[in-house]
Amino acid sequence: MSGSNGNGHLYVPQLAAIVKITDETYDTKTFTLRFVDDDYRKNFTFKSGQFVELSVFGAGEAPFGFASSPNRREDFDVTIRAVGRVTNALHAKREGDLVGVRGPLGNHFPFEEVMGYDILFVGGGIGLPPLRSLIEPMLEAREKFGRIIILYGARTPADRVYKSWLVELEKRDDIEFMQTVDVGDDSWTGNVGVVTTLFKKISVDPSKTVAFTCGPPIMIKFVIQDLLQMGFDGDHIISTLERYMKCGVGKCGHCAIGHKYVCTDGPVFSFTQMRALREQW
Amino acid sequence: MNVGDKLSAPKDQILKALDRLRKNWKIVGPTEGPDGEVIFREIESSDEITFNYVNELDPIKRFLAPPTEELFRFRTNGEVKLELPEPPPRQILFGIRSCDVKGIQHWDKFYSGKFVDDAYFARRNNTVLISLACNEPLETCFCICTDTGPFLEEGDGYDVQLTDLGERFLVEIGSERGLQVLEEAGFKAEAASAEELAKRDELMRQCDTKFETTAFMAKGIVQMTNGRVRDSLWEEMGHECFSCGACTHLCPMCTCFDVQDVMEAEDCGRRERCWDSCQYAGYTREASGHNPRAATGSRIQRRFYHKLSFAYIKQDGHHGCVGCGRCIIACEAIGLLDLPAVLKRLRREGQPVEVTQVPTE
Repeated sequence: MSGSNGNGHLYVPQLAAIVKITDETYDTKTFTLRFVDDDYRKNFTFKSGQFVELSVFGAGEAPFGFASSPNRREDFDVTIRAVGRVTNALHAKREGDLVGVRGPLGNHFPFEEVMGYDILFVGGGIGLPPLRSLIEPMLEAREKFGRIIILYGARTPADRVYKSWLVELEKRDDIEFMQTVDVGDDSWTGNVGVVTTLFKKISVDPSKTVAFTCGPPIMIKFVIQDLLQMGFDGDHIISTLERYMKCGVGKCGHCAIGHKYVCTDGPVFSFTQMRALREQW
Repeated sequence: MNVGDKLSAPKDQILKALDRLRKNWKIVGPTEGPDGEVIFREIESSDEITFNYVNELDPIKRFLAPPTEELFRFRTNGEVKLELPEPPPRQILFGIRSCDVKGIQHWDKFYSGKFVDDAYFARRNNTVLISLACNEPLETCFCICTDTGPFLEEGDGYDVQLTDLGERFLVEIGSERGLQVLEEAGFKAEAASAEELAKRDELMRQCDTKFETTAFMAKGIVQMTNGRVRDSLWEEMGHECFSCGACTHLCPMCTCFDVQDVMEAEDCGRRERCWDSCQYAGYTREASGHNPRAATGSRIQRRFYHKLSFAYIKQDGHHGCVGCGRCIIACEAIGLLDLPAVLKRLRREGQPVEVTQVPTE
C-alpha cells in the first residue's frame, strides 16, 4: 500500500540509523541513513527527485530530497542545512543515532524519457543535492545521454556543498562542469556572479536539451527566464518547487500551490505545468 | 429490515434503542448547554438529548478528527520505540445535521485515494451517522444553495436519516452499517405509510421556503476559476480580516492540520496533529523565513480559491461549502468575509476595473 511505510500507517515512520555524517559547509551536513529493518531496507527503492519525511523524535518532521543515486541500495544520503527546529536537532545527532523516515514520497525526475537528449543542470546552493541524485545515475549510464552540462552557483566558496565531488566533476572530460559564487574570497580564482552568468559561457541547442534546475525560488525564476530566452520549450525545463510541507502525502494542505500539492503532484514540475498553476510559485 | 427501507416508529422507540446500544457504543447526541445552546457530547442516557436545536456552532468533524489527535508515541531511551494510540471506541453520532453529514462524506473521499489516512479511518470505520433532517433552518443556513440539505437523499452519506414527523420519526436506512446498528439494538418498526412519506416531502418543501441567507455560487465559481477578481479587492479583505482562523476551524469541509512533537519527559513524548488554518500567516512560512502567502489578502484568496474554483470542483466533485453558515456566525469581521458575503462581493465588485476611453474633443 502506498505510503504505508511498511507498517500499515501513513504517519508512523520506519526507523533508520545515521551511519555517517559528513560536514559539507559551516552549516550543512550530509547524513547517510540506513533502515534498521532488514526486510524494509532490502525492498526499499526510490527515484531521483523524490523525498523523505525525516523525523527527529521530539523535534518533529521535515521533508528532504534524496541526495544520492537510487542505484545505491544499502543506504542513502540527505544533505541538510541547519535553519529550523528539525534541522538543528538533526545537526546535533551523532553517528549511530536513530531517526524516523517516511518515504519515498512525491513524483520524480524523468530519466528514461530524457535519454538521448543533452542535459543541462543548473543548481544553486543547497539545491545541488537533489540534482546529485539524478546526476549520479546519469553518469553511471553516461552513454545513454548526450552532452551533460552542470552549472553550480553558491553564495561564497565556503557555501559550496560536496567540495571533493566538485573536484571530481571538474576532472571528468565527458561532462562540462562550471561553478560560480556570488562573492569570492582570496583563494577563489573561478567565476564570480550569480549562476545565470554562466549561461554566456556555454552554447546549447535548446531543441535537443532538457534543463533541470533546483535552488532557491528567486534563482529558479531567473534561471527559467533565461532558459526561455535561450529558446527552451516549457516541457524541456524541469524544476523543483518548494513549499512549507508537513504530511508529505497530500492531506495537511500546507504545500498547495493553486490546486496542486507540491508533495504529491511534485516536487518536480515542468515549466509548462508551473505556468498553469493559479498561484505564484 | 433492509438498506433503503423507509420505516416509521414512535420517537421513544428510537431513544430506547439508543439506550440499549450504549452498553457497546459511545453515543454522541445533542444536549442543552448552560446557556440554552446545543452541544453535541457523549451521553449516558437518552434523557439528556434535546430536540430543541437546529445545529451546534462547533462542527461535528471534531468527533472524527479531534482538534488535537495523537498519531503515535515515542520513547528514546537507548533504543527508539514507537507505540500506536489505543484504538478509538465505536461511536454513534446521533441527531447530526445534513450539512455535517455531507462534510464527513467529503472527508471520507479526501482521506482515501492513493494515500489512505488510517488515523482518520480508525475512527471513521467505527462510527455510525444517524442524522436528523432539518424542518427549520437557522437564519444563517444556506444549504439550499450548496445542495447539501436540508434533507439528505440516498447516497448522501447517512447511515440512518430521521425525519421528525411530530409524534413519530421517519427512519430511512441508508447503509449496511445503519442496518446493522438498528438490528443490534433490536429496533423494530413498520414500513412508513404513503401519508407519512408525503409528509416528509411536504416538510422538506416547507423548509425550502424558510431560508433567509442566500449564496449565489455561480458567478463566484466563474470568477475564482478564471482569476477574474481585482487584486485590490483581496487587499481590502486583507485589511478586514483578523486572521483568527475561526472560519476554517468551524468549516465542516476544511481538513488542514499541523503536526508537532510534544515531549512528556526527557525521553518520551508523542507526535500529534492539530487543526491548522490557511488563514494563519505561519501556515506557509518556511524555515528560511520565506513566505509565499505573507499578505493576509493572499490567504483569503487562497481560501476562496479552494472553496470555489473549478479546479477543485472537478477534483472533489463539489465545491468546498456545505452551507452550514458557521463562518457567518464566527467571523470577527462581521458580515464581510463569510462565504455568502464574499460571494456577494465577488458578484458586485470583484470584476477587474474596466478602462473606458474617454473621447476627447
